[in-house]
Amino acid sequence: MDTPNVRGHEAPSLIAGSNAQLAELLGLMADGDRGAFSEFYRLTSRRVFGMAKRVLVDAGLSEDTTQEVFIQVWQNAGKFNPEAGSPLAWLMTITHRRAIDRVRSAQSATDREAKYGAASQLLDHDSVEEEATSRLEAESVTRCLATLTETQLESVRLAYYGGLTYREVAEQLGAAIPTIKSRIRDGLLRLKTCLGVS
Amino acid sequence: MTEHDENNRNFGKEGLRRMFATDIATDLAEGRVLELAEIYALDALSDAERAEIDNYIAAAPERPAFLERVRQSRETLATSFADEAEPPPGLLEDILRQLPQQPRSSQTGTASASSSVSEAPPTAATHVSPDVVDLAAERNRRDRRRFGGVRGWVAAAAAAAVIALGGVGVGVYVAGQNDPVNQVLQANDVRQATVDVNGGGTATVSISTSKNAVVVRMNGVPAPPAGKVYQMWLIPKDGSDPVSQGLMDAQALSHPAVVSGISSAAAIGITVEPVGGSKKPTLPTVAAAPLA
Repeated sequence: MDTPNVRGHEAPSLIAGSNAQLAELLGLMADGDRGAFSEFYRLTSRRVFGMAKRVLVDAGLSEDTTQEVFIQVWQNAGKFNPEAGSPLAWLMTITHRRAIDRVRSAQSATDREAKYGAASQLLDHDSVEEEATSRLEAESVTRCLATLTETQLESVRLAYYGGLTYREVAEQLGAAIPTIKSRIRDGLLRLKTCLGVS
Repeated sequence: MTEHDENNRNFGKEGLRRMFATDIATDLAEGRVLELAEIYALDALSDAERAEIDNYIAAAPERPAFLERVRQSRETLATSFADEAEPPPGLLEDILRQLPQQPRSSQTGTASASSSVSEAPPTAATHVSPDVVDLAAERNRRDRRRFGGVRGWVAAAAAAAVIALGGVGVGVYVAGQNDPVNQVLQANDVRQATVDVNGGGTATVSISTSKNAVVVRMNGVPAPPAGKVYQMWLIPKDGSDPVSQGLMDAQALSHPAVVSGISSAAAIGITVEPVGGSKKPTLPTVAAAPLA
């Protein structure tokens, strides 16, 4: 059975089962194991760089952010608490936060338009499938993303990839603020339920 | 479906409670903190709003439920939005060259945690949350590393370096009752004061004499000017020179900082200093609060 969606052959794709391996590597990294760090990087750098690139677009900025993320991961490896979430979610949370911090700090008031412009392009980027192409769970992710209303998905994506706050999303879409908050909440809850995240 | 449908769909037993207001403060005041978990997990908040929620949730009864819902949202996001791109070749080598030594405290801390789970019950996790900048620990670590046996506040001040832990929010790790912020915030004798920060925003200090520590949280404080950082100082009761407690850059601003060893201090002060910090505070302070 082939997997038509998997593009990179040599680059490993993360699957859910590898979270246990990542947790073990983090333990070794906390003890100063640089080999474990290299392995952790090998397993996750495509995700980290991919997220940074998606949010920041610029390759140089994405590279800087990826560096920062991995150095932070190294420094905080000992603080990772498996009870509080999977290593991948922890890593992606750090990555997302770093990326949007950069987007937002690079954004002066006069840049607002440019920012919104970039965010809008995300929507044209037509994409539900693309988000999950190289994932084994691609099918269920695609199916679950499709359970969101268009407007829910739009709000979630503007916030997540555009680095916009709920207030900015509302402004951008010309919608009421409470409505946008509801869309984000309901969209993520629907996605969570569909994926069976527990 | 109209916009109204979306907001009204949840009308029912819990409907009213679930209807959002336009601002976070009202949502919190009206008991909707749990409904904010998804927005929080998505980072779709300003730093000031995030701090508002962090502040609220630190001692709220909904804390465990909130953190669980944030955790689930983050797992959902990590699964659903899985962009991948090949980083440039050589990046790993660049990073490896920059990796600092692991701090000793971290090594001893995790050695037991990773070698045998049974040694430490899961609830006994004492790791510091990544969003918590433990200034004293940072300072001590730097002292050990750079100054060996040199003691005294002069060394501590000279050792100041930007603390760029760049946290990830209260939800990811949850150190529960044991994290240092909570230990202070939930101490029986905790008292709070909020002072204005010159230049905008406020600083809230939560002081616990029994824990010998203070939690400093900046609310809506602008990033320091280019080439500058905020530096925190303890001002000793005996009139000796202020003791640096570390630096806060733009990133550290959004995270609570724990300063311990306050028993001999009369006040805590914050100044603006050149990047890298100063040995002595450049006056006037942008904010100061009495501790005694």
